Amino acid sequence: MIGELLGHYRVVSKIGEGGMGIVYRARDEVLERDVALKVVGKSAALEQSSRQNLLNEARSASALSHPNICTIHEVGEFDGELYMVMELVEGKSLRALIGGGLAAESVMRYGVQIAGALAHAHGRNIVHHDLKSGNIIVTPQGLVKILDFGLATRVPELAAEQTTSSAPLQGAGPIGGTLPYMAPEVLRGQPGDYRSDLWGLGVVLYESASGRLPFAGRTALEVSSAILHEVPPPLPDRIPPGLAAIIQRCLAKEAAQRYQQAGEVQAALEAVQSASVGTRVQPREQRGPLTTVLRGIRHLRVKDGDVLLLVGTVKGAFLLRSSRDRRRWDVAGPYFHGQAIYSMAYDGRDGRHRLWASTHSYWGTYLRSSDDFGKVWTNPQEANLKFPPETGAVLKNIWQICLGRPEEPQALYCGVEPAALFESRDAGETWSLVRGLFDHPHRPRWTPGNGGLTLHTIALDPANQARIYVGISAGGVYKTEDGGRSWRAANRGIRVVYQPDRYPEFGQCVHKFAMQPARPDRFFLQSHWGLYRSDEGAESWTDVANGVPSDFGFAIVAHPHNPDGAYVLPVESDEFRCAPDGRLRVYRTRNAGASWEPLMRGLPQKGAYETVLRDAMTADGLDPHGLYFGTRSGQLYGSADEGKTWTRILEGLPAVVCVRSVLIGEPCAGRSPKAARAPRVRSSGARPARPSVGKSKRRRRR
Amino acid sequence: MAVTFHIPGSLRSLAGGRSEVELDDPAGTLSDALQALWVVCPAIRDRVMTEQGQVREHINIFVGKEHIRYTGGLATPILPGAEISILPAISGG
Repeated sequence: MIGELLGHYRVVSKIGEGGMGIVYRARDEVLERDVALKVVGKSAALEQSSRQNLLNEARSASALSHPNICTIHEVGEFDGELYMVMELVEGKSLRALIGGGLAAESVMRYGVQIAGALAHAHGRNIVHHDLKSGNIIVTPQGLVKILDFGLATRVPELAAEQTTSSAPLQGAGPIGGTLPYMAPEVLRGQPGDYRSDLWGLGVVLYESASGRLPFAGRTALEVSSAILHEVPPPLPDRIPPGLAAIIQRCLAKEAAQRYQQAGEVQAALEAVQSASVGTRVQPREQRGPLTTVLRGIRHLRVKDGDVLLLVGTVKGAFLLRSSRDRRRWDVAGPYFHGQAIYSMAYDGRDGRHRLWASTHSYWGTYLRSSDDFGKVWTNPQEANLKFPPETGAVLKNIWQICLGRPEEPQALYCGVEPAALFESRDAGETWSLVRGLFDHPHRPRWTPGNGGLTLHTIALDPANQARIYVGISAGGVYKTEDGGRSWRAANRGIRVVYQPDRYPEFGQCVHKFAMQPARPDRFFLQSHWGLYRSDEGAESWTDVANGVPSDFGFAIVAHPHNPDGAYVLPVESDEFRCAPDGRLRVYRTRNAGASWEPLMRGLPQKGAYETVLRDAMTADGLDPHGLYFGTRSGQLYGSADEGKTWTRILEGLPAVVCVRSVLIGEPCAGRSPKAARAPRVRSSGARPARPSVGKSKRRRRR
Repeated sequence: MAVTFHIPGSLRSLAGGRSEVELDDPAGTLSDALQALWVVCPAIRDRVMTEQGQVREHINIFVGKEHIRYTGGLATPILPGAEISILPAISGG
């Protein structure tokens, strides 16, 4: 084979050999680069169907693009031989580096990268199924590269062959010997899933930390028995308890007891890394049994005419207040110290002054409300939102709180993870699952995005009480026209890049969409690659990425008055989710997406590798309207002139995940008699609240 | 002989400020003992258990020094004098 030409690849030398075939170093004579070429051995004698499966899955895996995953450039057949062309990774296998065990810092450093790669792949519905130290390469720069993604179990015959291999279990051939990494459920014959990869990660971490496998034996039977029944020997004392606990959780015999997402392992490892350099923060709880009175926080004094910002971060909520000039801001918080606040809202309907926040922590997810701008918050005895027992689902987080229409002031909606819609008809006292959407036949084929399988956007048609739109990652846009009993996908024209059918009926990873308040059949939508507009109630979508530096991004906000106006905050790419070129810029369209122009005055234009998440940008309803956004690095920016000039309102916050603005009363309300000063509030949530009390004396439009 | 629950700091306000809750006769399994705890401290239940009746993902329960993962989960036998600890896992960011 050496020296031969396979397609346009000249085979240079042999790198290794294993159950899947032989790996060569080869030269791509067209692109003039060195590649790794894996030729599936003819001895594998694949059935035609298996061959096709392997091809399909390898093609699917080739869509993975992550710095810690060895890229598959090409998959094909030549002269009856199946081959894969991959990135040539120079380095040593983790197995070769482990020796008697690595330093804990190295284990964590490699572990974070491996978990990050798994999270990326799992988010695209690709499971490795054969994670082991032998197919993890560490480059001389310390970068981890995982090989053979999506290939292992696509060949059941080969997996079986490896499982029952009588080859030595350690120091086996280059690819053999996967039994010690197999999860208990896989050994029991069940199909593995993401969590089986997390088991494999646990084995790799254990092996890296201790220099030995957690489940050993002289025969395959003994190893299998250890995997199924035994607890691994204790890790060396030099391994910090936090890291040991992570490994232990990955190695829970029951998949349900493990971490459920690779991202959680990554976060846990990062937390232990931080703790090891002395930056751990001790949480402080202040909750009461039914209500929480927050002492030690300077609360806001809110008056009619004020503008409020509700800022949710991954470690608490902050409230900001300004007069309508929006120049100086009073800040209160953090509320819900240490908890993640993914959604906030203000309900001024029916004479209320009610703040809502969803809190998320170890102890579950709760909806909390305050009727005095944060001095006292409810602390429900029971979780407010619960999936019914027969669904088997468990509430993970609340991503969106949406007020019902002004004419139904007791109605509230919540979008949650796992993707579902809940509604309340009694101002949030009780909640029920919208079954029409939860039982949708598409649901089993929705796939989680990086943030999980979430329903993150809700928009109510102000003119048609039966029509509701929701956004699901990754399910796409869904629409009901009968009040939620039945739903249909509304994604025509939205492109996907992560499956062969570029325009599927559903499955789009919609990051956010915004209904135009002044024209509620018009939407702007930011997708996972793609910027769109619909002028017909989401029936079809048109690409409007005309002049933006990237059509990847998360946040999108509609101009509160001008139906042709919208704002986005592009990030560079899926892999590099930061402001392009380190220049933080909001892009504005004033012609319905025909063109976009950057707004940057006052925003950092050098080294600002910022990310703005899907709910972290908002507009207020004044004229000229204000625009606000918070970044993952904890900075909060605001503009009082529709984005022309910006100021940094706050810095040093935890990562910002939610920003909402609220207007209290009318600009001239201060001169009104008190009795007539019922609160009139516009919120810039998923939909703007309309005035529910009193009449607007003037409604300024641009 | 009573069984003692050790309540973590973040849940004490839901247990009348107590760090320990003693229950007289929760003989049987951990599940039985927890049911008895919910009667005394109802607001703790949803903090510890999901709506599907499983212990929350990032919450660990120990009977004595043993994690219940290794002793039968919610079916772990509870003997008189047992000490049951509810603790958040070391995870998250």
